[in-house]
Amino acid sequence: MSHLFEHNGADGRGYSQPDPVIPVDNIQIPSNLVRSNSPRWPRLSEPEMVRHYTWLSTRNFGIDTGFYPLGSCTMKHNPRVNEVIAQLPGIADIHPLQPEHQIQGTLAIFHEMQEMLAICAGMDDVTLQPVAGAQGEFTAIRCIQEYFRSRGELGRTKVIVPDSAHGTNPASAAMAGFEIIEIPSQEDGRIDLNALRAVVGDDTAAMMITNPSTLGLFEPEIAQAAEIVHEAGGQMYYDGANFNAILGRTSPGLMGFDAVHYNLHKTFSQPHGGGGPGSGPIGVKSHLAQFLPGPVVKKRPILAGDQLTSVNQEWWYHWHQPANSIGKVQQWHGNSGAVIRCWAYYRRYGRSLKTMSEHAVLNANYLRHRIIMEAEKAGVRHLFADGAPVDVVKHEFTISMAPMKEECGIGAMDIAKGLLDKGYMAPTVYFPLIVPECMMVEPTETESKETLDQFAKKFVEVLQEDPDVLHNAPVTTKVRRVDEVYAARNLTLSYPFDE
Amino acid sequence: MVDQLPNLGREKEMLEFMGMSSIDDLFADIPEAVRMTEELPLPPPQSEEEIIADARRLLGANVALGDRVNFLGAGLNRNYVPASVFQLITRGEFLTSYTPYQPEVSQGMLQAMWEFQTLVSELVGLEVSNLSVYDVSTAAAEALTCAVRVHNRKAEQKDTVYVSELVPPSRRSVIYNYTQGGGIEVKTLRHNSDGTLDLDSLAQAAGSCGVYVEQPNPLGILDGGLTRVKEIIGENTAFIVGAAPVSLGVIEAPGNYGADIVVGEGQALGSPITYGGPLYGIFACTKAYLRQMPGRIVGRSIDVDGKEAFCLTLSTREQHIRRHRATSNICTNETLIALMGAMHMSLLGPEGLAKLAQRNMAACHLAKQKLSEIPTIAIPHQNNSHFNEFVVELPGAAAECIAYLDTQGLIGGFDLSAWYPERKNWLLVSFSDQTKATEIELLAAHLAVWSASLQGVSA
Repeated sequence: MSHLFEHNGADGRGYSQPDPVIPVDNIQIPSNLVRSNSPRWPRLSEPEMVRHYTWLSTRNFGIDTGFYPLGSCTMKHNPRVNEVIAQLPGIADIHPLQPEHQIQGTLAIFHEMQEMLAICAGMDDVTLQPVAGAQGEFTAIRCIQEYFRSRGELGRTKVIVPDSAHGTNPASAAMAGFEIIEIPSQEDGRIDLNALRAVVGDDTAAMMITNPSTLGLFEPEIAQAAEIVHEAGGQMYYDGANFNAILGRTSPGLMGFDAVHYNLHKTFSQPHGGGGPGSGPIGVKSHLAQFLPGPVVKKRPILAGDQLTSVNQEWWYHWHQPANSIGKVQQWHGNSGAVIRCWAYYRRYGRSLKTMSEHAVLNANYLRHRIIMEAEKAGVRHLFADGAPVDVVKHEFTISMAPMKEECGIGAMDIAKGLLDKGYMAPTVYFPLIVPECMMVEPTETESKETLDQFAKKFVEVLQEDPDVLHNAPVTTKVRRVDEVYAARNLTLSYPFDE
Repeated sequence: MVDQLPNLGREKEMLEFMGMSSIDDLFADIPEAVRMTEELPLPPPQSEEEIIADARRLLGANVALGDRVNFLGAGLNRNYVPASVFQLITRGEFLTSYTPYQPEVSQGMLQAMWEFQTLVSELVGLEVSNLSVYDVSTAAAEALTCAVRVHNRKAEQKDTVYVSELVPPSRRSVIYNYTQGGGIEVKTLRHNSDGTLDLDSLAQAAGSCGVYVEQPNPLGILDGGLTRVKEIIGENTAFIVGAAPVSLGVIEAPGNYGADIVVGEGQALGSPITYGGPLYGIFACTKAYLRQMPGRIVGRSIDVDGKEAFCLTLSTREQHIRRHRATSNICTNETLIALMGAMHMSLLGPEGLAKLAQRNMAACHLAKQKLSEIPTIAIPHQNNSHFNEFVVELPGAAAECIAYLDTQGLIGGFDLSAWYPERKNWLLVSFSDQTKATEIELLAAHLAVWSASLQGVSA
């Protein structure tokens, strides 16, 4: 065990600093603003600090460590050249208030990203400003809100979400001030058009939906859903969490959506970083473009007097404020470092982003079949049910452990912990809420056939474990099952110096 | 040819296993009416070396701050970040993990974030910190909505908060977008002509849900009057301070003068500016606000063997459980950047932080001395103490001065008319631990030349 706060060398400054440019004795600070107590920070030398964090890293599981089939999170490989590019001074060491002529290269990349994202989703305009998927949802809903205000349609106060939606959808719409109407899904997890018809009306602002759904199913009646909402005068919002499944095969624009957010940390390989940073650009149809948060990048032909930075420059890139912009959702231009990484990722694929999605879907279906085959071979197929009874899924699939729970008391969480013992990250558990004892599996396109074959075998081995073993799992991890109730009842949210 | 797909060329074998013959079979569930029939109108794939060459060409055309003598800050500061920080965060176990839903295999990041919470708590003088929100603008906005949730029931001024008039329009706009949905009215707090908060007019904020001010304020002024805010607004109004974290090496922790919530732009600790993102927003509060705070929180616990272990806690505040009743919609946050912050803070230690703050302050102070010797320009808030930045009043438009300095190889600062349109001649100049005395001399010399030339014209 290494505790940061137990490092307290007498003079353990981790790095030496040059002296201040003038002696500090003659700098006046208002006496009531002089710091009265030092923060109880540790004192580490560089070797101690490096060893502490390296030790911590060995206690953490990433995609680089092993298979990470966390459904809905698209845990694909993060190409390393993207990290190298993001550290170049032309992005790491530039300031958002620099004049346009000093940052033409960044603006050119942003413009290319805006265009690419618009093309892939069938949208007309894109802003890169939102810094996470949830913020993208919020931003798009704000644009829709201002759209209706501009038309005097003040009675549109409700946002419809299916019961299978990500929690961020209702949370984002509620933050913008909307009332949430949750509609039930059909038995098979797909959208229920009758339930939708029953709730739409002249108070409908928007419907928020992800397609493929959180069960990994493509909604065959999505165009009809869009028609129902549009006929009622509402807008269609596409949650891009599952966009990885459909690039080059269909698009939210074709399905009838008016606005979409992209999760660059899912579809476009921005590393998830243990919980962030992400990036959540949004795309909109032209009628919403004037409300986008500003500014967005536009280009025009070179004019006399432009301060060109490159002899090959064909276009002048500049910031443009949309006419009726909602303003800002992040005070600068979003998570630019993430956008640059995702530009490098996009360049890796170009038009073959379609092949990328095909392989995401290929891998998900293959793994699903493989698990079923192994389970049948071992005689344990009855222990789990399909989250949805369909022939093909898209980038992910769900299975219900309810039968096993019924038979021997082993639920999704126990299976998840059993998988940790086999050296895997567990799939998403207990989501979507409409599948009992749900496990949601998303392998992504960057896993090899051998990895999938092996995982299917190990998964079925876990199903065959003694229930007592699974109740006790995991046993091979750095700590065993963590008591979350204890954490909540005995809140210790920082190092207890006085303990 | 794409090179990131291990199963390229093995599609047939995998499809046959499933009883399928073509990739199209996998997409048969997409109705024809919504299928994309044309190829994506995008260029072909590139190799890694072509991409990096393009990146170097495009990004190399930018002017990096390090290429120039730089005085642009305005809330983002180019402090030195030690090399070990950059090296350590490339470790794949950190970089390529996600939210630690499975604590047994995520102890590393959980412990690192619990330590981050502790470092921040100690820094700002409050009991509780979360593990970051997006940046200071969203942190301030979420602090205000948090204050309303906590105080609205008893507030005399319901759904009302007060924000310093100096808060820049970009931050104010984020605050508006986050608060308008809840029907929250954002009123303005006045400042005196010397830039300090007008404590007389602050009295009107008593009985509202919360007050948001910044220390140093957006003009770089350290305002001793803020230590009196809490007694003026009272127990039932949240005192929210936006603090520059590095300054807290020498300046009093806001928690020690009554702040209920402290937010801040974490960037200067641990992260390059990166064109304004990713950054990390500090969010800390007293226990009274804990159950209404946004974002993820790590708690210490035990495993079944009684061994110390960490896990996410108080999740019932969050969107994945509480859905539309959540305290915030935040899910993905800025963990990796916060981790960089934790690493930087660990290397600094209390003495290193104090020295870092002194270096920032000394550069700012020296610049104020040097620039005050130029007769053609003025320093409107000269008698105040400053941290990182201060305002220079020029004899002409700041925009023109910046353009002139640009021709001399200087990134000269920020034209404050972008924030305060009536202040055409106000230039905000910023200094950090990276500012050298010779650079300050250079700025002073150029400002003197430019100002004198302007006076010559007008004379």
